[in-house]
Amino acid sequence: MRGDRSLYILFFLGCALTGVLILYPAYYAVQLSFFDADSFISTPVWVGLENYKTVLADSEFWSALIRGIIFAGTAICLQILLGIGFALILDSAIPGKIILRGITVLPYLLPTVVVALIFQWMLDDHIGILTVLLENLGFEEAATWANSPFWSMVLVIFVSVWLWTPFVTVCFLAGLQSVPEEMYEAARVDGANAWQRFWHITLPQLRPVLLVVVLLRAIWMFNKFDIVWLLTGGGPMHGTEHLPILAYRKAFDAFDVGIGATISTISFLILTIAILLFFWRFPIDERK
Amino acid sequence: MKKTSTRIGIGIIVALMVTYSFFPVYWMLISGLREYESLFSSISLVPGPFSTASYTQLLELTDYPTWFLNSVVVATGTVLITLVLAIPISYAVTRLEIRFKGAIVGTMLYAYMFPPMLLAIPLYSIFVDIGISDTLLSLCISHTTISLPLGVWLLWGFFKQLPFDVEEAAMVDGCTRLKAFFYVVLPLSLPGIVTVAIFSFLLSWTDYTFALVMIGSDSLKTLPAGLDTISGWYELQWGELMAGSTLIALPLLVLFLFLSRYFIHGLASGALKG
Repeated sequence: MRGDRSLYILFFLGCALTGVLILYPAYYAVQLSFFDADSFISTPVWVGLENYKTVLADSEFWSALIRGIIFAGTAICLQILLGIGFALILDSAIPGKIILRGITVLPYLLPTVVVALIFQWMLDDHIGILTVLLENLGFEEAATWANSPFWSMVLVIFVSVWLWTPFVTVCFLAGLQSVPEEMYEAARVDGANAWQRFWHITLPQLRPVLLVVVLLRAIWMFNKFDIVWLLTGGGPMHGTEHLPILAYRKAFDAFDVGIGATISTISFLILTIAILLFFWRFPIDERK
Repeated sequence: MKKTSTRIGIGIIVALMVTYSFFPVYWMLISGLREYESLFSSISLVPGPFSTASYTQLLELTDYPTWFLNSVVVATGTVLITLVLAIPISYAVTRLEIRFKGAIVGTMLYAYMFPPMLLAIPLYSIFVDIGISDTLLSLCISHTTISLPLGVWLLWGFFKQLPFDVEEAAMVDGCTRLKAFFYVVLPLSLPGIVTVAIFSFLLSWTDYTFALVMIGSDSLKTLPAGLDTISGWYELQWGELMAGSTLIALPLLVLFLFLSRYFIHGLASGALKG
């Protein structure tokens, strides 16, 4: 067809640029993981699988992996539970729905840096409003929680849940609109209560949405760097250091670029295997 | 009729939900506007006494105006590059006879899952090699690596839904493919394009990770990286930092007020990385 040629040219140009921008860097990262490079300007030396041996033998790597799984797992579960709850409230017959929806989405708009600072301010050890509140509730040690690895992990999980629950809420709210009203009517006639209607109609109907949301959130939480780095920097005593932070520290603090790239590559491999297992266990298109 | 007790119960739950979602934002807004002394002496939930001292201090002591400008440049650049690349790719994939279509879209989705550090480390290394490390351009390119897969994915879904007959009719009437695209397809797909533009902007405006890795010079920082830098300064107190936070968040809140329809739509189609 006339003019198709210019479209083809634009298309191939676009694809070529995408390749250069995204696939080449990813390929380069994998390649870097086979080299020993002690800075960004020195010439890398081929070391084969040496970096992988070093990383896999390092206990720092394994504890960072486990911390990452705890962080991501807990945060995802809470986000999903809270997100479903919010979506159900927003879907019920309450006045001012649109404004309420806007307010619940608000946290998602804020830059991570801003969110980290707001929570650090609210938890300031002298006059932070949350510190004072916690102290009044009987947690007298609240001001010293920043020194505790356990409470720091609680903090990064809590803030991640606050920041990213709106994503789950909005996806579920959209999904709820697609559940046919007749199904609820029929269930009501049969005498099902609210909980039974939720468990036997809403949840099965929303299964496809749920699967996609869990998958996306899992990927993003596992890769999350900024919120943890800004809130705790991986501390105290490495208490919140997960793989993205370990990779950053190796590459940009210790200038061990090869090791940093190796950690990134391994964590990406783990993620890829997890995604494939997920698709194998829960095929998303089974309804069609 | 619902029972009054149920109504009160729902009312309490809604109030809790609103407090939980909105209180931190409210606290940021009023802390930036509070008078210096009262910020540290009392914890009153009511705003005031008001003072703009934190804002004047912030603008006097830091490079905020420069960083604001940098953020605008990088975000605008990212939106433009994303649209220029994503529109032809996703349009061609839905309309032309191209082999490996599935593979192209699949690769885009896969790229969308790359850990930021997997891209940041090699990208920085490449930017050093070609001599554009520590420039706004390098940051634009880095942001595009995330916004482009997102853009192609969203627009691909959008162009697929547009009926083919409309542009075919235009082409039968003598339009070339490109003309049909610009005069028929583009206006019809404006909502999709606006959604992609909003998300690319949001992504670039709020990004911290890439800004931290790519930019070293103070004068080239964007707002999030700049705010992070000054959060360690001892001359600055929480009032100034909350004023700074408000200045970053405000453009987004205003944008959201006017474009929330596109925003919610995009979010529901699994859009934003975060």
